Order: sequence, then C-alpha cells, then structure tokens
Amino acid sequence: MMYRIKEASTFHLAIVVIISVLLAACSHTVQVEGRYPSPVGQQLPLSVGIYLSEDFKNYTYQEESEDREEWKINTGRAQESLFETVLGSMFLNTVSLSEYPQDLPANVELVIVPEVRELQFTMPRETRVNIFEVWIKYDMNAYDSRGNQVASWVITAYGKTPTAFLQSQEKALTQAINIALRDAGATLYTGFGKVPELQAFLSGKLRSASLQEFKVKSIKAE
Amino acid sequence: MFKPFIVLILIFLSGCTTVVIDEYRRSDGELAAGDSVVILGRRHSSDYETEPNLIACVGRELHNPEMGVNIIPEKEFVDIMYPWFEPRTAPMHVRSLDRLMENREVREKMEAYGVKYIVWIDGSTETTASAGSISCTISTGGAGCFGFGTWDKESDYEASVWDFRDRELSGKLSADAKGTSYMPAIVIPIPLIARVQNNACKGMAVQLQQFLIPAAATSS
Repeated sequence: MMYRIKEASTFHLAIVVIISVLLAACSHTVQVEGRYPSPVGQQLPLSVGIYLSEDFKNYTYQEESEDREEWKINTGRAQESLFETVLGSMFLNTVSLSEYPQDLPANVELVIVPEVRELQFTMPRETRVNIFEVWIKYDMNAYDSRGNQVASWVITAYGKTPTAFLQSQEKALTQAINIALRDAGATLYTGFGKVPELQAFLSGKLRSASLQEFKVKSIKAE
Repeated sequence: MFKPFIVLILIFLSGCTTVVIDEYRRSDGELAAGDSVVILGRRHSSDYETEPNLIACVGRELHNPEMGVNIIPEKEFVDIMYPWFEPRTAPMHVRSLDRLMENREVREKMEAYGVKYIVWIDGSTETTASAGSISCTISTGGAGCFGFGTWDKESDYEASVWDFRDRELSGKLSADAKGTSYMPAIVIPIPLIARVQNNACKGMAVQLQQFLIPAAATSS
C-alpha cells in the first residue's frame, strides 16, 4: 500500500514538473534596466517636488491573453531612473518626495506625480513587420504647494527595434522599451512648457519673481 | 602555407553582391583640424529602421584621424545632445537646425565637439525573396541535413550630408546593393552568404570619404 502511494506521488510530481517546464517555456519575464542621459537645455526657474509612488517604481505589466504567450514586463526601475534624471535636470531645484501630500518641504512650488496609464507591445509575427514595437502612456499631474491641481496632461511614448541584430524576444523588447522610455523623456522635456496651464503657472512665477526683484531694487534706491 | 587556400575558400564560399552608388554634390567637403563628423541613422519611419550596426560600420570605415576625419559615434552623440536628436525631435530639414541652434546649451555643445558635418543615413536591408527547403533529421545513427535554400537581400540607403556651420545641404548619395545567398545541405549545411549590408556600408564609406576629403581622393 505504502509502495503504491509512493509510486503515485512520484508520478504526480513528474507530471507537475513537466507541466511547470512547459508553462515556463511559454512565459517570458522582462526586467528593464536603463540609464538615461540628462537633457541639454536651460533649467526652468522652479523648485519642484517629484513624487514617484511605489506602484510607479515597481510597475509590472502582465499580459494574460489567451492569444498570446504570458509576458511579465517590469519597467519600474527604468522609468524611476528616467523621470528622476529628466525632471532633475529640468528645474533649478528638485526634491524627491518619499511621501505625498504629507511632509511637503516649504520651498516646493510645484509637485509632479507621474502614473502609468497603459503599456502595449506588438511582436513581429503579429504585425508581419520585422520590428518589435512598444507604446507607453503616462498620466502626468502637477500640484501647487497647497495640493491644488495645476495641470494634468498625457505623455505618449513609442519605441521600436528591428529583430535582425538581436538574439531573443526578451532582449528585443527590452531595447524597444528603452527607446520608448527615452521618447517619454524627450516628450516630457520638450512638451512641458507647451501645456497651457503650466505655461500660465510658469509665467505667473516669473512675473512675481521680477516684481520681487523690482521691489528690492526700489527699496535699495530709496 | 594554408593561408591563401583559406582566403580562396572564403571568397568562393561567399555569395555575389552588386553595389550601385549615386552621388549629388553641391559643394566639396572642407574639414579643418579639430572638425568632427557625425553619422546618424533616421528612425522615424514606421515600417523600417536604419540599422545601428550599419551606422556603426560606416563610422568605423570612415574614422581616420590621420587623414583628418574624426567621427563621433552615433550613441555618444545622441546621448550628449539628448533629447534633441531622438526620432521624435531630430531635425528633418537643414533649415530646422537654425531653430535648434537658438538653444544656447545645444549650440555650445555642438561647437565644443567641433561638429562640421552631420550625415543622415536613411534606409534598410531587407530579404526580398526566398526559395528552397532544407530538412534535418536526428536519429540514433546520427544527424544530417539535406536540401537547398536560397534568399535575396536588398539594401537601399540614402545619405544626406549637412554642413552644420553653413547650415546647408552639401550633397546626397545613395547606395543600392543586391545579393543572393545560397545554402546547399548535404549532411552539413554550407552557407554561402552574400554580405549585402556590409558591401553597401563599404561602398557608402568610400564615397563619403571622397566627399569629405576630396584632396585624398585625387591623390589616391
């Protein structure tokens, strides 16, 4: 009897191992790592707080479609690095916030909070074009020092890479995501000043700064 | 002793490629000491992408500091100038450079690197046709393949040379290369590969060298 139970459990174990191996063969995990360059250009005269939530920093896209193999794509660390680098170079002063809206430093004029809205990708066999493509959409929110929303805008990023010179699907997808993240950084940097609400906020700050300067000069002259 | 034999076998084992280069020149190249050239790939099209290895190959072939040709690698340049030469933001016309140069930091970086020419390469290499079949079997007695496969590749590239300092198009050149690769398999598959992209790269590099340093071309 004991022998039978042992035999049955070994048999079941073997089946479980085989099924796990087969399932693992159909699932793909991608961990995107990346270092991004600092943008070249003039810094905006603002003191900005950057709040990257834990969800944002650990963002993992999981695909569980019946038509596709299983994909787990973690872009959290890469996008954390990108947003900290790009936003860190865009303004005269930046502060990384570990919590928001609590404990906001007194000198912060604007708080920027990005969120991932969507990530999509296509494989060469789906499009019949010899490239991997990735789209990422971010919801960007900006709040003033009192927590009122100043602006809300969307950043769309696109990245693609040909298959020919890459070895695996995972590597190709990682490269396409890195290109998409660079594109997100470029859009964030070049588009920030074009958001009407932010334009108004910036010009208001510049006006009050020049008024302050004028007042200081007049006091000195007296 | 075996060296010439090996070289002959390698020549025999590679497929044939034809390369056609066309050129339109508005002005001759004039590189002074300390000047640099940047070679960049266009990546804005939705259905193809200029291969980074093609750009690296042209850069490698052209880079010759002794002759006064100093090439800044694509990745290095794009990182230094981030985000102004990304697929979304890169200038598409020479006149767009004027607007970009209104940005003082960008202008200073370009001047610090001594950029004289920006060469934009647009195009790709594609497999246009394939035929034949090869089947391989593995058994307890051994393994082997049998059959014949062939495929055609075509490269189509266009290079635009921008004079960064004079803000004008100095010229254009195109490289079209075609080649057929074969793979007969009698037990072991023997690939006879036509190096289409590599030949297009070398053809373009030679023409660009003549373009950038015409004095070297006349002396050779």
